[in-house]
Amino acid sequence: MSTEPLIKVRDARKLFPVKSGKLFGGQQDYVHAVDGVDLDVRPGETLGLVGETGCGKSTLARCITRLYDLTSGTIEFDGQDISTLSRKEMRPVRREIQMIFQDPYGSLNPRRRVGSIIGDPFAIHNIVSGRERRVRVQELMERVGLNPEHYNRFPAEFSGGQRQRIGVARALALRPKVLVCDEPVSALDVSIQAQVLNLLIDLQDDFGLTYVFISHDLSVVRHVSDRIAVMYLGKIVETAPSEMLFELPRHPYTRALLSALPVADPDLADSRERVVLAGDIPSPVHPPSGCRFHTRCPRAQEDCVQIVPPTEPVLGDPPEHATACLHPLAAGEQLAGNRPTISDTELDDTSLDDLSRGKEASGS
Amino acid sequence: MSEQEMARTDPAPGAGGDSAPADTAAGIEARSPWTLAARRLLHDKVAMVCLVVIGLIVLLAVFAPLVADLTGHPPNQQYRKTGLSPAGLPVAPSGEFWLGTDSLGRDILVRIAYGARISLLVGVIATAITVAIGVVVGLAAGFLGGWVDTVLARLIDIILSVPFLLVAIALVSIIGGGLFNTVLVIGAFSWASVARIVRGQVLSLREREFVEASRSLAAGNARIMFVDILPNVLAQVIVYTTLLIPVVIVVQATLSFLGLGLPPPTADWGGMLSESQKYYTTSWWFVLFPGLALLVTTLAFNLFGDGVRDAFDPRTDRMMAAKGGD
Repeated sequence: MSTEPLIKVRDARKLFPVKSGKLFGGQQDYVHAVDGVDLDVRPGETLGLVGETGCGKSTLARCITRLYDLTSGTIEFDGQDISTLSRKEMRPVRREIQMIFQDPYGSLNPRRRVGSIIGDPFAIHNIVSGRERRVRVQELMERVGLNPEHYNRFPAEFSGGQRQRIGVARALALRPKVLVCDEPVSALDVSIQAQVLNLLIDLQDDFGLTYVFISHDLSVVRHVSDRIAVMYLGKIVETAPSEMLFELPRHPYTRALLSALPVADPDLADSRERVVLAGDIPSPVHPPSGCRFHTRCPRAQEDCVQIVPPTEPVLGDPPEHATACLHPLAAGEQLAGNRPTISDTELDDTSLDDLSRGKEASGS
Repeated sequence: MSEQEMARTDPAPGAGGDSAPADTAAGIEARSPWTLAARRLLHDKVAMVCLVVIGLIVLLAVFAPLVADLTGHPPNQQYRKTGLSPAGLPVAPSGEFWLGTDSLGRDILVRIAYGARISLLVGVIATAITVAIGVVVGLAAGFLGGWVDTVLARLIDIILSVPFLLVAIALVSIIGGGLFNTVLVIGAFSWASVARIVRGQVLSLREREFVEASRSLAAGNARIMFVDILPNVLAQVIVYTTLLIPVVIVVQATLSFLGLGLPPPTADWGGMLSESQKYYTTSWWFVLFPGLALLVTTLAFNLFGDGVRDAFDPRTDRMMAAKGGD
């Protein structure tokens, strides 16, 4: 697995300006949706990206597919920096990076027929037209488990799972190298989730796809991912091969996430330690200084408030297991308690640090 | 919700590439939202009656020369001997003049038929121009945003704040009556309301994921605006269009009534009503029939427009729509 990464994200930042309450003057505030992310995606692998709602996963996905422009940083695809390409220059790149969306209802145009929705990629890139396009579309429909005779139907006539298959067929039409899946199954019934996940796994084998798979559901991510990156408040806090992350979580946040996973064995479930983090996720407008997790971390110490922890292997971990924590957990160590060790009161005066560093955010 | 979900099952499990059962597929007709709306419209009795009435008026306009032949009276022919009483007043409806004559002894029936041509022509053409401009401006403002939206939205506000009839009267009296100028003035000042409706819809539609999906496929702005977004605002536009036609017809008639329409010998309803003012005490037919023609036409278009709205949005019934207003 030492091949050159297909996608290289370096120090990616995406800030969204927020309206300030003041009429005149006042400092422009920004939501730090993605704030200094480094990420490698290797060809043929599935990289899982997990984190709480609002941690910036979807924003990062939309930056990789260039639906949003980065505020700063770079995204390399196949050795080429795509973060500053013009719309015209992006055209060929868009054939290589496609996206599957979270909402199977919102992502399909309700007024257009399924055949023309799936045929869109062919139309936009002038690949095939007329009868031949129809044949290609119907092949795709068959490949993702849809009845090709439903070519003329409207999205409303399909169930959630079928609609997500339509989205997969559309994304697959141009034979991309990378599929960015933004919570592709979180809107589906559990029984349907497995079907769609298995379809995605099959397609990966058949087409040699690389996946960036975003989810807040750890068990889903574990099922599909080779490597997992854990995101908290706009930053990646831990990256590791899938099994290693589950067996040897180093970051307290990862540990807390893992403890929330349901366990099938009731005896084990009873004896298991559960970490319920205190408090809510802090505002991404004024993210905490130092380690962003220190406001909720049961292990936080004074230095966590000051120092931004570097992302590096800790405690003799292999190089592919990187953690951004000053006081990582040792093997088998449990989190002691769930109360943050640093009180909330000292937060606000330090939280503006990042703002001064924030460069100009571009409107989307 | 959950029952429906359970009733529908995915045709093929994800693991295999086996195709779905084809038994029911061919039998089920793909019903578009348009087909469904058309079907609801067909079941709306009031709307269908109105459609028939509109059809009759169109026929009357198209075959106006035939009406002239049938009665033997050209529209501008003045029958000073048979068409006027010895006192010089219009004659009442009779075997010779079915709907009576006007103050110059012309056949009112024939002139109503020819007037229908003007009303429908102006109604349809001016509405078409209005809607075309309004849709393009609304799409551009709503979708492109930024300074384009700022400029266009202000322009919409300005035009909507102008007292339309007064400006129309002023403009027509400057640039002259004629059919073309009337259409131009109406078109230039009524697109703003269409644009505002479209813009509002687009503002919410552009945030939908299917727009992002198109964007990620490298679709350009024009394609997203016209292929992805336009079909989603078309229903509202169609409803508004059918309700705009009668308004335009009335505006045209108003301009003619005020003497700012078409030059005198031309038969149009507003002009006829204007001429009939002095005679309403003596010659009821002179004011009644042109007025009735205008009333029936606008009423038919309005009720048909209501039907179209109900067909596209079955949740709001007629009472609700009336209360809500436009």
